[in-house]
Amino acid sequence: MEIIRKTGPYIKDDNNTTKIMFNLLISLFPIILFTFYKNGIIPFYEGKTNVIEMFYPLIFIITGALTSFVTETIYFKLFLKIDNNQLLSTVKRSYAIFPGLFLSLVLPINTPITILILGSFIATLVGKLLFGGFGNNIFNPALIGALFITSAYSIIIANNGGYLNKLELDTISGATPLANTSLVEGIGTYQELVSPYGTLKDFFIGFIPGSVGETSAFLCLVAFIYLTYTKVIKWRIPTVYISTVFLMTYIIGAYNDLGIWYPLFQILSGGLFFGAVFMATDPVTSPTTPIGQVIYGMFLGILTVIFRYMTSYPEGVLTSILTMNMFVFIIDRICSKARFNFSKSKYLFIACWSLIIIVSMFIATSFNKDSTETDPNFNIISKDVSNNKISYVVTQKGYVGNIKASVTVDDGKIIDFKVIEQNESFYSKIESDDYINTLIKGQDNLESIDTLSGVTVTSSALKRLLINTIKDYKNGSKENIINEDTNNSRNNFEIIKMEDNNDEKIYYASNLGFRGKIILKITVLDKTITKIEIDSSNEDYMEQMIDSGFFDNLVNNQNNIDSVDAVSGATVSSNAVKELLKKFIKEYEEYKNE
Amino acid sequence: MLGIKIPKYKSISLKKDFIEYKSPDKVYIPLVNGYDTDVTILVKKGEYVYKGDMIGKTKGLFRVPIISSVSGVVSDFQEMSYAFGDTVKCVVIENDKNDNYKEDKEIKKNISDYTKEEFIEILKDSGIVGMGGSSFPTYVKYECDKKIKTLIINAVECEPYITADHTIVKNKCQEILETIDAILEINNIDEAIIAIKNTNTELKKYLDDFIGTYLNIKVCLVPDLYPMGWERNLVKYIKKKQYENIPIECNIIVNNVSTIYAMYEALKYKKPLTERIVTITGDLLKDPINVCVPIGTPVKEIIDVVGGYKDSNKILLVAGGPMMGKTVSENLVVSANLACVLALSELKNDELINCLRCGKCVEVCPSKLSPVLIKDNVGNKERLKELLPNRCISCGLCSYICPSKILVREYVNKAKENIKN
Ligand code: SF4
Ligand code: SF4
Repeated sequence: MEIIRKTGPYIKDDNNTTKIMFNLLISLFPIILFTFYKNGIIPFYEGKTNVIEMFYPLIFIITGALTSFVTETIYFKLFLKIDNNQLLSTVKRSYAIFPGLFLSLVLPINTPITILILGSFIATLVGKLLFGGFGNNIFNPALIGALFITSAYSIIIANNGGYLNKLELDTISGATPLANTSLVEGIGTYQELVSPYGTLKDFFIGFIPGSVGETSAFLCLVAFIYLTYTKVIKWRIPTVYISTVFLMTYIIGAYNDLGIWYPLFQILSGGLFFGAVFMATDPVTSPTTPIGQVIYGMFLGILTVIFRYMTSYPEGVLTSILTMNMFVFIIDRICSKARFNFSKSKYLFIACWSLIIIVSMFIATSFNKDSTETDPNFNIISKDVSNNKISYVVTQKGYVGNIKASVTVDDGKIIDFKVIEQNESFYSKIESDDYINTLIKGQDNLESIDTLSGVTVTSSALKRLLINTIKDYKNGSKENIINEDTNNSRNNFEIIKMEDNNDEKIYYASNLGFRGKIILKITVLDKTITKIEIDSSNEDYMEQMIDSGFFDNLVNNQNNIDSVDAVSGATVSSNAVKELLKKFIKEYEEYKNE
Repeated sequence: MLGIKIPKYKSISLKKDFIEYKSPDKVYIPLVNGYDTDVTILVKKGEYVYKGDMIGKTKGLFRVPIISSVSGVVSDFQEMSYAFGDTVKCVVIENDKNDNYKEDKEIKKNISDYTKEEFIEILKDSGIVGMGGSSFPTYVKYECDKKIKTLIINAVECEPYITADHTIVKNKCQEILETIDAILEINNIDEAIIAIKNTNTELKKYLDDFIGTYLNIKVCLVPDLYPMGWERNLVKYIKKKQYENIPIECNIIVNNVSTIYAMYEALKYKKPLTERIVTITGDLLKDPINVCVPIGTPVKEIIDVVGGYKDSNKILLVAGGPMMGKTVSENLVVSANLACVLALSELKNDELINCLRCGKCVEVCPSKLSPVLIKDNVGNKERLKELLPNRCISCGLCSYICPSKILVREYVNKAKENIKN
């Protein structure tokens, strides 16, 4: 028998870090099963995927976790030179699988697996190991990986289908619910924001588009309760975080006459629950002081709301967390002092509360209800006024680029509405449902017309297009305009066809003129333009232009089109022709070089 | 935040009634009070001392007498282990087992029949100090000009395993109530409140049986948390008051219940503090029990008397409770502030892992410190000044709760030292 000496205390809580991590895994389990069900099993049953694709969500998650694990093992082996027999326990104590596991859960389902592996590697190496390993990192490693992937590969992922699983791709046009909020005009309505995806219950359960693991608020809530009960997470952070977002969006909604559904919609979208419960509470990168955790939660809420409403990046949750990670040190410093002094902490809270109210009110009032402001997504390209009749050519931002349409309004009534150009994904649905006619028929109360499910963004863009046009008819100027719409000018120009005539090549090119399309017939011989003729146009003074030798001048000065003077009395038309020719030459140049 | 629930392990030492072990062959009276080892020695080798004789006196701010707990011959001076973990010089007295006092002790009929000055004199001469662990001389608390409104009697005993206070209340309930009543009268105090845990139904029953006639004494049930027995917590919970340094700022005095019983012996029989009840317990003891022993009794002897250790390779011998106590070598001796001796097996699952920054240590700290931040900044004096490690009461909760099994309290202790120099 030997009396040994040790430092106390001699009883210890039976909680330990391994248990904490184990409980974390348990709480993630239902979430992983759910995503398997939603993104794997259901699309398979609907016949959208094959058996292997059915398991993709699981393979995805396991790959993420495994990559982290392997990265860390190799790092320990190669750089820290840890013995083989200690390697496993060292990696185990470093809880190696988590960065990749969490990363896989916050990425869109259509992320290619190679990108996931790269991201998971970056998350582990840059986000964790280079900071000094477990316990020393400032930023949430998984979010470092996510940041890397979204900044480098978001386009590839979007082209691959983005957030939508194979089933959703067929039924929902448009992006995640929050991406949708930035497409609708103003603050949006229940029909615009919630209905396309189902009801708020679907939001709560999680049958909405979103990242692999973050759509089910319900399961996150279950996990939250479990993790709080088992004392794994800093429960104050998610509680305050979600409440703050709720409160702020409630104020914003209430000010704009929206019901309680609006703040609910906001907290149930964009992976807020998942982010708040799992990412914001990452122990290493969140404050250790209880007051600090409350302040941290408040600021996360404020930032998320700011990101959602004031930037073009509507999801906001992960960015907010990464941003706040930087301030953990200073929050802890302030709050460790505030603990000693009740009144000091009181002022801290008053300051936070004021900030919450101010930001909410600022955002709330920025949605002007009877807005005379113009919709930034709407553009008038040309406007032809004769008495009470105005013929418009306008564009409105749709799901893929702009939708261009001609609209004629007479005496306040839409008498003609034609879509000239669009690249929308499921436009055939608009046509088969004859949505255009629905809009024309319902023109007296456009706001109340439902959008088409499956093509929400497109249909609502068409609706807005008409609303905006009518608004302009009522309030806008009554003067002719041709906007030299730089964004779209290239789209207006088009080489329609090319004919071979022995050595000559004849091109038919079109551009937008004063009254719609001008089509020129351009003959090229040996890389030089030999002749320019008008194939068709609605312009008023074409005869005069031909008579004045304008076209011959152009042929002669084809290397310096700008030096040719416009025909007086037909300036607009002449300029349109010049513009067309310049574009043609440019395009032809490029073509030649190829 | 008053504290947290922790396991109690109390019942194992309450299975049997307490026993007395009054006649060790030798006692080793430690020449120390609290941390104060600067003692004037008043006896020489070979000198005969009576029980209750003053054999030394501390030289510090407070003069506390060191008293012989037996009668016999001073045979030697020897270094022995003491409750705070270190060794101290002890006076070794060969016990003649006669319990001879210098003069015959008269019995005071009515113990409230003292003036305040006499009362304080008796406390001083009897060497009565806080028996909960602090060893703070009791007379100092009463010797102040401020009006005392409330006397809180601390019978919470929030540390796990220890049942010494429990035993004394259970066995000396009447005497304790009588003493409290006398203290109230002598010092003109308005009320007394006995604090016990709300889970301790046994004590509640005993107290209720006897308390009827004492109108100024109440029992207050406090939550079963650790460290609920900390003075600051008691005052905060019972009187809803907070003080800067000592409770008297709020006209409150807090005394440990064992100290109250020592006062009884002093007031009733003029007997100084020479013995105390010690809980001998732990999972490696065959027969955990409470034992009443003379100050200076070697713990090894007591353990043998109560049945000894279970078979085990390694034993943690702890002076005090498992939270605040310290491991000691086997030559530990009983002192006035030693409430408990533990024989524990080594902790399992004690593997050290990097700090998770879970914040649990911050959450539990009853002094509102941020132990993890103190740990991070243990070498950074400037930052430590804001973090106030000196407010740490060494309760050990931060180390107890840490899921990474980091000994956080030791970092705080280190910080206390660093900030001093
Ligand atoms: S820092 Fe001191 S007072 Fe606070 S929990 Fe740790 S030991 Fe107790
Ligand atoms: S309890 Fe332990 S792991 Fe948690 S913050 Fe404190 S020292 Fe770090």
